[in-house]
Amino acid sequence: MEISEILNDHTIKTNMNAQNKEDALNELANLLLENEYITDVKSFMKDIYAREEKGQTGIGNYIAIPHGKSNFVKEIGVAIGINKSEIPWESLDGKGVKGIILFAVGNDNEGAQNHLKILSLFARKLGNDEVIEKLLQSEKTEDVKKAFCN
Amino acid sequence: MKIVGVAACTVGIAHTYIAQEKMENAGKKAGHEIAIETQGTIGTENELSSQQIQEADIVIMAADVKIAGRERFEGKRIIQVPTEVAVKSPNKLIKKAEEVLKQKQAQ
Repeated sequence: MEISEILNDHTIKTNMNAQNKEDALNELANLLLENEYITDVKSFMKDIYAREEKGQTGIGNYIAIPHGKSNFVKEIGVAIGINKSEIPWESLDGKGVKGIILFAVGNDNEGAQNHLKILSLFARKLGNDEVIEKLLQSEKTEDVKKAFCN
Repeated sequence: MKIVGVAACTVGIAHTYIAQEKMENAGKKAGHEIAIETQGTIGTENELSSQQIQEADIVIMAADVKIAGRERFEGKRIIQVPTEVAVKSPNKLIKKAEEVLKQKQAQ
């Protein structure tokens, strides 16, 4: 079981140019749609924003982890955006964010134990300062994958 | 000292595991033995054994929801915080655990 199984080249975007939170979420959600992880951007975003209202998803160190369970998720996955500039975000350390990891998880996860397990291992990595440092410095998709998989 | 704990967040996808990683790293860095059970969407993982709980000097609960099997920790010294605290200031949290234990020993 490898974390790389949950990472997809097509849902990783470095040098992103989002100006605000909404831009960033839209861009990443569209990547999830194009790669068939979700079925509808608008409805998926509603569920993501429902979680945003419950508390900060900026975990400090310029990282945000918007997530929520949604009926509009077909397959468990993540979209990762490394933004060129810091954008405002509700965060634990009061700073903005540059690295955004958007989680796609369905409400019904029957038969998805394996994917959920990998996702939990992936989430764990986000608690590691070295991983975060490498992630934020990523220039290319390959760098993002290396940050998580080394 | 020996620390055990449980992490559980609202959705059970992200904060639970980030809190686990941060607490375990901070605990080890400070020279303690630490094991954190996670209760998330996938269920309970890294489940604490009754021996681990019995031997623990202190219990840290980083939780935004009700913990399953809380009765296992009855009679133990427990620090309870939201997952946010474990994610934001894991080192401070471990320090607090050290202080609480010191107070207990001084009594």
